[in-house]
Amino acid sequence: MNSIPLDEHLIRREPYYHASGEEIPLAVAAWKAGMPLLLKGPTGCGKTRFMQYLAWKLARPLITVSCHDDLSTSDLVGRYLIRAGEAVWSDGPLTMAVRAGAICYLDEVVEARKDTTVVIHPLADDRRELPIEKLGELLIAPDSFMLAVSYNPGYQSILKDLKPSTRQRFIGLSFDYPAPEQEAEIVVQEGGVAAEIAHTLVKLALMTRSLKDSGLVEGASTRLLIQAGKLMIAGISSRTACTVAITAPLTDDPELTGAIDEMIFSLF
Amino acid sequence: MNPEQLKQYFYDLVHPDLPNEWEVEEVMEPLLDLDPAVRSAVLEQVQVIWPVSNSLCYSYLHQAIPALACIKAETLGRWASEALEIYERSGLKDAQQFMINVQSHFACRMDGQGQRFKEIAGRMEPYLRGLARRDLRLESSKTVFTDTRTVFLPEELSLFQGEGKNFLLYKLTTSFQWAFIALDTFLVTAEPNEINPSAKGKLWLHEYLAATEFPSLLATLYFLFETVRARGFLERELPGLMRDSSRLFASLDKKSPCKSGVERIVSQTRNLISGQLTEDESIEDEQIRTLLHSKAVALDSLRLAEQISHQADEGWESIVQEEPLFFQGRMELTRVEAARMVLRREQEAGFVEALATFFLSLPTAGNDTTDEEAETEDGAKGVSEADAALLFEEQSSEGKKEESSKSPDFTRLENELELSEELQELAEEIKNDLGQVPDQYISAAMGKAGQAQAGMGTPESDDGSGSSAPVTYDEWDYRRAGFRRNWCVVTEKQLEPIQSNFIRDTLEQYKGLRIRLRRQFEMMQTRERFVRRQRDGDEIDLDALVESLADTAAGFPPSDRLFIRLKRDERDIAVMFLVDMSNSTRGWVGTAIKQSLILLSEAMETLGDRYGIYGFSGMRRLRCELFPIKGLDEPYNDEVRTRISSIAPREYTRMAPALRHIISIMKKVDAGVRLIITLSDGKPEDYDNYNGEYAIEDTRHALIEARMAGIHPFCITIDQHAHEYMPRYGEVNYIFINDVAKLPARIPEIYRVLTS
Ligand SMILES: Nc1ncnc2c1ncn2[C@@H]1O[C@H](COP(=O)(O)OP(=O)(O)O)[C@@H](O)[C@H]1O
Ligand SMILES: [Mg+2]
Repeated sequence: MNSIPLDEHLIRREPYYHASGEEIPLAVAAWKAGMPLLLKGPTGCGKTRFMQYLAWKLARPLITVSCHDDLSTSDLVGRYLIRAGEAVWSDGPLTMAVRAGAICYLDEVVEARKDTTVVIHPLADDRRELPIEKLGELLIAPDSFMLAVSYNPGYQSILKDLKPSTRQRFIGLSFDYPAPEQEAEIVVQEGGVAAEIAHTLVKLALMTRSLKDSGLVEGASTRLLIQAGKLMIAGISSRTACTVAITAPLTDDPELTGAIDEMIFSLF
Repeated sequence: MNPEQLKQYFYDLVHPDLPNEWEVEEVMEPLLDLDPAVRSAVLEQVQVIWPVSNSLCYSYLHQAIPALACIKAETLGRWASEALEIYERSGLKDAQQFMINVQSHFACRMDGQGQRFKEIAGRMEPYLRGLARRDLRLESSKTVFTDTRTVFLPEELSLFQGEGKNFLLYKLTTSFQWAFIALDTFLVTAEPNEINPSAKGKLWLHEYLAATEFPSLLATLYFLFETVRARGFLERELPGLMRDSSRLFASLDKKSPCKSGVERIVSQTRNLISGQLTEDESIEDEQIRTLLHSKAVALDSLRLAEQISHQADEGWESIVQEEPLFFQGRMELTRVEAARMVLRREQEAGFVEALATFFLSLPTAGNDTTDEEAETEDGAKGVSEADAALLFEEQSSEGKKEESSKSPDFTRLENELELSEELQELAEEIKNDLGQVPDQYISAAMGKAGQAQAGMGTPESDDGSGSSAPVTYDEWDYRRAGFRRNWCVVTEKQLEPIQSNFIRDTLEQYKGLRIRLRRQFEMMQTRERFVRRQRDGDEIDLDALVESLADTAAGFPPSDRLFIRLKRDERDIAVMFLVDMSNSTRGWVGTAIKQSLILLSEAMETLGDRYGIYGFSGMRRLRCELFPIKGLDEPYNDEVRTRISSIAPREYTRMAPALRHIISIMKKVDAGVRLIITLSDGKPEDYDNYNGEYAIEDTRHALIEARMAGIHPFCITIDQHAHEYMPRYGEVNYIFINDVAKLPARIPEIYRVLTS
């Protein structure tokens, strides 16, 4: 079989990650114990970044799969391809990760259909195995392999809620937006803006996050703040940057749009 | 038209009413000379106003001709509808006044200059909540002020030409009022000092001021200095706003000619607040400027106010009488105090409830033994009542012991009994307010717990017409982690149909929303997607084909799923809406719920999902009532519409048995996805001491039963306190809607998000 070195998936430079609690030692311990991870938290609060950091720290390649409802089992496990008239097997990302003892991260796992996610069940429990029917092979994951999935438990379609039988195999890590000071620092680091602007952006984020009862499904995420910051660095005025990078992605409701824009005009 | 015809015309308009002839003649006579087109414009409004108030209608007819001197005939409708709004809000007198002052109250605004509260509230309320990061409200009122829970703004603003500036003034005012709340301007407490040596302990501002020599002067100065502090605060927190507002400040407050003494200080301070005192311009008392800094606190303003009030001379009364700066508004300490009392009562009620529940959760011989079924189930479980009494006794004697030494310290109680986190938090809040948890709170809780230990309600028969055979359901008792068997009796009853214009009015009122919802729901319905790997279809799935060729080459049987098909998503969904018809929904909540049901049904019709609606209420466990409004497969027809408009508040909110009944219905339904969506306005409760933890846990359990039956439950509530108990229903299973007015738009939206 092909054992492509997973060099390209190895993270060589330490990613910038600002820990907000015990998540790093916990995840390392889970990895040592061969247990899979379940990251939950709102979008853009650092789950993906955390996985990158973890992969770097453990010196394991990181293979990320963004899940969507068209994802099939072969997309994960692998399939035969025809090359020069011959059938050649090609590993899918999950198989690749198992063989290489890498970390496989299924982002937004609830987006995938249930019949797709069943393949991870035997990998997630203490069997740690991946059957590949077409090859007639049963892969046993090496100790260094880790499975991680993420999902956003917020306001989302219950039709996509995670099945308990899937959930119960995982170690859960809850992510939330960082504390204001930390978040501002992240925005400085990632968005490149001055500390003062970062603080103002975080203030704006906090304001929007308190609008859940007024009908806003989710407040501004760290990612949105960083994007607004980057636009400012690129020379866009702060008000415009915030309107396009924060208000617009958050809501279409005219009154909430108005309210958030007024917050922006007040702050900047 | 001759006088007789005109009179008859009027009678036709107000039919079947038969007003006094002489009154009609009196108002009709002046209309005779009007241009016929104008006259019919005037008379057009009669049908609008008459049914609401006959007197107002006469006033309108009296005022119409003078009004036509400054407004056009086309604007009469708007004028009349504003008058009606005022009538409904503040009564006949104000509405009449509004009509008399057509020039100043209405006409000048019609030139498109003014901005109305109604037009800005939708934007400004979330803005305020965002700033404060808590649930403040915005309301209209004659003057500007805040009681620290609600910010009051004027009905309309027309100080400037063009909407932009008037809106900005609304926004600036909202922000200043928020600043006062954030800075604790009205909630400052002061130690007694030489001004007020008699009192003991800290004083609230209004108590403190009341005991001084010139309370109104001191209050005026204090509030003025606090406004300086608020300005400094806003400059730091909302620099953008302050920059934008500089063009307003200049026009709001004119520099007054130099005066002397305290008056001079006041006018300088006002200039400082409205940004018309430059950095280098001197101010009589430089301490005032220091209030702009972040370190300044409310007590600094108070001390400074005291100091300066001592210098006051005869001129002081004019200082007090001077209008406050517009955005500053008034300091309404009695309203603040009232709001504080409301908060205190809410805290007390919450605490007593929580503590009572806590007492009940202690191992005791349950109340359940009064009922036969329970007796056998409960048996000798639990501790004797004597034990419980002993526990309470210990409790109170301890209280007394401490009282004699120091003030009773609630932490003792916390340690002794390991109170829940919720209870500890409540106790903490109360201690912040009152310094300690009053004994009567604890005794009230004990009393309440004791009452709950008394028996449940007595059987009651009600075999009104149109009821189905009663069905019994178990009820979950969390204290014993088991069911009370056959505890509740559920009957399906028919609603008494009421004829009204409700449907028509709702459809009219929400015309725009309806169109929007219809479009959104149509989009859900026609959602199409390509499905790959089908046995047949319109196109070849190249990926699948290649794979199957490869499989063949590798010696595997090739798959025959080689096509792509455009598939319209089968929405195999059945949903049941369960609507709270308890007494607390009386008024606008109930109306909003009914409007939501109509808009939802209209939208659902475009979608084709199967849906049903049931209302529920009742009193006591033996009379839980469910009112079928629309069966799952019943068409949405006039009968259903009439039933929706006949929904009316009834009795209590025992949701769990209703849920169980719906679950039993839904269990038999064959659908890919089954949903139960509940709509209520408060905690579950019933007359027979069904409340608190017990009721919440029972409801929670019923929701779990739904899930166990493969049915997705989802709860929508309009209860302010939902956050205290709904999370226990499971975080993704509920949503709280703050703004009742938004309900008709939100409920269809929630349904859309839930099922797509
Ligand atoms: N704790 C953190 N440390 C460093 N960067 C962070 C952190 N949280 C968020 N970010 C920034 O926010 C962006 C979005 O985070 P991401 O990990 O993609 O969110 P998620 O995967 O949770 O949706 C990242 O690209 C990173 O720039
Ligand atoms: Mg109720």
